[in-house]
Amino acid sequence: MSALTLTLKNAPEQRIDMSALSCHLLKTLSITDIAALTLQSGKRKLRVDELFTIEGSDSQQLVIKNSHEKLDFIGKDLDGGSISVEGDAGAYLAMGMKAGDIKVSGNVGLYAACEMKKGYLEISGNAGDFLGAALPGNKMGMKGGTILVKGDVGQRAGDHMRRGNILIEGNAGDYCGSRMTAGTIAVMGQTGRYLGYAMRRGTLLLWNQPQLSASFNDCGAHTLAFLPILFASFRSLNTKFADVAQSFNRVQRYAGDMSEMGRGEVLVKL
Amino acid sequence: MLIRLIGGTVYDPASGIDGQQQDIYIQNGRIIDKPQGEFKVDQDYDLKGKVVMSGAIDMHTHIGGGKGNIARTLLPEDHRHDPVHRSDITRSGCGHAMPSTFVTGYRYAEMGYTAGFEPALLPINARQAHMEMGDIPILDKGGYVMLGSDDYLLRLLTAKKDQKAINDYVAWTMHTAKAIGVKVVNPGGINAFKFNQRKLDLDEQNAHYGVTPRDILQVLATAVKELGVPHPLHVHGCNLGVPGNVQTTLDTIQGIGGLPMHLTHIQFHSYGTEGDFKFSSGAAQIAEAINSNKNITVDVGQILFGQTVTASGDNMRQHANHKFASPNKWVTMDIECDAGCGVVPFKYKDQNFVNALQWAIGLETFLLVNDPWRIFLTTDHPNGAPFTSYPHLIRLLMDRSFRNDILSTIHPEAQKMTTLASIDREYTLQEIAIMTRAGAAKLIGLKDRGGLSAGNFADITIYTDNTDRQKMFEKPDYVFKDGQLVVVDGKVVSTKWGTTHVVKPDFDPSVEKGLKDYFDRYLTMKLGNYKISDDEIIEDGRGSITVHPLSS
Repeated sequence: MSALTLTLKNAPEQRIDMSALSCHLLKTLSITDIAALTLQSGKRKLRVDELFTIEGSDSQQLVIKNSHEKLDFIGKDLDGGSISVEGDAGAYLAMGMKAGDIKVSGNVGLYAACEMKKGYLEISGNAGDFLGAALPGNKMGMKGGTILVKGDVGQRAGDHMRRGNILIEGNAGDYCGSRMTAGTIAVMGQTGRYLGYAMRRGTLLLWNQPQLSASFNDCGAHTLAFLPILFASFRSLNTKFADVAQSFNRVQRYAGDMSEMGRGEVLVKL
Repeated sequence: MLIRLIGGTVYDPASGIDGQQQDIYIQNGRIIDKPQGEFKVDQDYDLKGKVVMSGAIDMHTHIGGGKGNIARTLLPEDHRHDPVHRSDITRSGCGHAMPSTFVTGYRYAEMGYTAGFEPALLPINARQAHMEMGDIPILDKGGYVMLGSDDYLLRLLTAKKDQKAINDYVAWTMHTAKAIGVKVVNPGGINAFKFNQRKLDLDEQNAHYGVTPRDILQVLATAVKELGVPHPLHVHGCNLGVPGNVQTTLDTIQGIGGLPMHLTHIQFHSYGTEGDFKFSSGAAQIAEAINSNKNITVDVGQILFGQTVTASGDNMRQHANHKFASPNKWVTMDIECDAGCGVVPFKYKDQNFVNALQWAIGLETFLLVNDPWRIFLTTDHPNGAPFTSYPHLIRLLMDRSFRNDILSTIHPEAQKMTTLASIDREYTLQEIAIMTRAGAAKLIGLKDRGGLSAGNFADITIYTDNTDRQKMFEKPDYVFKDGQLVVVDGKVVSTKWGTTHVVKPDFDPSVEKGLKDYFDRYLTMKLGNYKISDDEIIEDGRGSITVHPLSS
């Protein structure tokens, strides 16, 4: 069976809620059923075949072609299957994802992978603010799985994050790792202001010296045996993090945020 | 326009009618006697086999004021999970535990309620509360102004001012805040919290003012009585939620010395310290005290299992309970010299011993208090549960086997600590009508509301009799508000605006002399701005004010 391919006909005028097209919801549906599903767009509901041309049949391998930044909630609560987005994606990409994998060739909007539980998300372009964060008012962000971003990410990446890995090849905005409870964020590029603001536990692994607030304490230089193991776990991924030349085990360690629990760490490559 | 409701089975405790078939005539928003001679009916409703009651009145529900907005801000998930779409006649909104104003009005009306009273109207925030309640469609509303922890009253008491001075201040505050009653929350305790006291028992002194809660209750209950305010002093007592507070509550009842007093959400004040977990039911003692003290009225503040949020002026107790917040986030704040505020989200669980016993204590209280005219059906919305759970609560009261089925599923230790299974009582429809209609109207002092005799406003709810009382009360066939048909089959079909109920007791205008200095020195608001004029409620063209007579 060939992958179910949805090609966007025109750039939409209003934002479109794509949550009805997560693979696990399509398992029992025929192509005709899928074509007849309606998606909320602004205050209107539009049929899938009004918006997309439909080819292929395997709904567990979804391809969205000619994708646009106004397509929100792609892969919401995804529970198995794979989604490949050719182009940009809107806000709330992979929100609450439980299993499966999602790859996006372009840029993505706000709250990508927010409250993600498990699975794999790869973004070739840039990601907006609140990557892997909690929804406003909620106490728990990303709880598991891996996010790889090849470009830059916005502010508040990993806000309230609880478990899992966020790998960023580019730069991260302000408040990276704010209010983290646990988990790992690795940034190869630069980081912004207020790194690890109010983080309780968790690890921020950096290639470049950050601008740290006064509530982080320098704990000196360390050789950490777990780092090569961590890097080895990235080997299967299509990323610079898999490159043996990028691997290191010697870091400067900072502990914080001391205005919170203070058991978080910032590790900077030496 | 003359409307006739034909052949319904009428439950109207206000005129002693208990399930008799009667026709009701409505004209110009009021119920009238059958017209004399020839007359033309514009609209007939055949209600044979239907149950007819007046519109229900919620005499204690937190539907206006700053704490609601704090709860809304604190809990965006409460709104995300419960969106309400607009229709051609209704506006959109959201919220399960703390719904938006419009949704509050629609949901109340869709359950057959036509009035709700905000029990914690802070004088300094009263304008906002009235504006917010002004956005609640269909319902009539009113508020009990909160006194007792305000620095001005405590200063009057410390200075040993006479009762007359207190009466003038209370009456003046009721005027300025547009209230129909006076509420006191943890008397003096909210103020004591600001002087670093973390508990305040009935006879314990405020560290700064030297005043005890007993003094405060005494002068305020006397003021309310002497001013002729029909609604007795509305008391949220000391030690809310503290195991062993049953003794405090009994002392409060004795200490008021026969003055009229309404004890609110009594369930939270009926806890003993027996048993392995040092937490037990004091409902039997409380019910006995209520039964033998005719000056006391109560509402229950029943808890029901599920997610809700507690919003209270009692910052002392809310602060103490913050560690039980679920989800884990909370707010406690100061409201300048007036009071305080605490918002703590709660998830009541049937497999939690304390929550399960709280549930049983509330029901025991309902069933052990004999006189339905002195006990009222509330969940202290949203503190015990959202008001939308009332039909479920009514079924628990009216259906013993349903009650016992649920009892058998709660925490086993809690089952052992309650006498609920041995109580046979089932509420009758007439008793429900008393608690939620006639009794509530009488308690608040609402003239021409809560009854179905000629002269009353035509607030009428019509149900299809159903042995599943939850289904019956969830979905009335028709609801009329002031003679206008607003709900059909449990859905809003038209909307209107209710009135704001107030009383206006007399006071000596010279009371403002002392107040002006106090305002200029200590408050963020000038005295002139503090006073809410009638126009502010009326001038938008949809609000109105109904002044009720004082009792002689």
